[in-house]
Amino acid sequence: MNAAACCFVNAMQSEASAIAYGLRRRDPDLLDQLIEQYQHRLLRYLVYLSGNRDLAEDLFQETWIRVLERGNQYDGKHEFSTWLYAVARNLTIDYLRRKRTVSLDGLMEDEEHAPVEPTDTRPAAWEIVAQHERAERISAALTTIPAECREVVVLRFQEGLRLEEIASVTQAPPGTVKSRLYRAMNTLMSQLKGKA
Amino acid sequence: MTDNVHDKARELIVLGESLSPAQQDWLRSHLQGCEPCRQYAEATSEVVGALHSVSIVADSRLVRATQMRVRFHAARMRETQERLWVVGMACLAVGLSAALTAPLLWRLSAWMGAWAGVSSPIWQTGFILFFFAPTLVVGVLLLARDTHSMNNGEQSQQ
Repeated sequence: MNAAACCFVNAMQSEASAIAYGLRRRDPDLLDQLIEQYQHRLLRYLVYLSGNRDLAEDLFQETWIRVLERGNQYDGKHEFSTWLYAVARNLTIDYLRRKRTVSLDGLMEDEEHAPVEPTDTRPAAWEIVAQHERAERISAALTTIPAECREVVVLRFQEGLRLEEIASVTQAPPGTVKSRLYRAMNTLMSQLKGKA
Repeated sequence: MTDNVHDKARELIVLGESLSPAQQDWLRSHLQGCEPCRQYAEATSEVVGALHSVSIVADSRLVRATQMRVRFHAARMRETQERLWVVGMACLAVGLSAALTAPLLWRLSAWMGAWAGVSSPIWQTGFILFFFAPTLVVGVLLLARDTHSMNNGEQSQQ
């Protein structure tokens, strides 16, 4: 068991090192591969962070340009996804500060949110409808919670990041991440109960 | 049982997989005897399930456009870097050759001044003009070229 875990960690580290090496060389093939690999995860994070699909798509492109420009800052010791989310987050905050001079929450109040399209391959019609409704309800509930809480929920439950990784992305202490997560889940639960 | 115990249990429920084995054991035993916390755990797993049901997918056009933009930007960065390297090397070569030839040219100017019978300020001024003339000419030409290309750009935009 320990040997398997050790092999897994070694494989991850060597992959991260290979990415760091490729980013330092600005290898376009590696960047193509990374864009393909992280396309859905990064876009999903940006959609929830910015609250707007079009803006998220712009930021998606800008994030990869920044990855290209600042690839030499990735040390290869941590997960690439954590560094990528941090880059995307900083870029989003910079953009919102520059363009709107309001907080992430302020954006959510007056922005029309893009509908979130659920992808479902199950054949039963009622299941599709039920899942669609569930996805719409949770998406609507997510837009009502503060951006910093929403971000933590998305990183934890949709992207599967550990608490320490979320703390690294959001540059907040793990205790703060925990309390944001707890607060967000309580709000989401009450929202979903209210609408059910 | 105090509220703090329930709060602690609920915090642990929300943290999910991040719990240590000891925390998991404590939570399991607490949930066995606490109906409200069990309901809270069920509600949490419902929310997590709902979160997993949401899927946002990137358009293939967006991915291709991003890849093309990144490749283009990478090529431009490489070109700029190469140009900077060439300019840097040229500056280094010019600086070195100037440092090496300046004393020699100074002596040559002094000898020519003495041979022509002109005063020191005159041959020294001549030396300075001769030494800096290429730099001044290149600077003027570069400025003229930039101005010309800017004018051309404005005309093509109109």
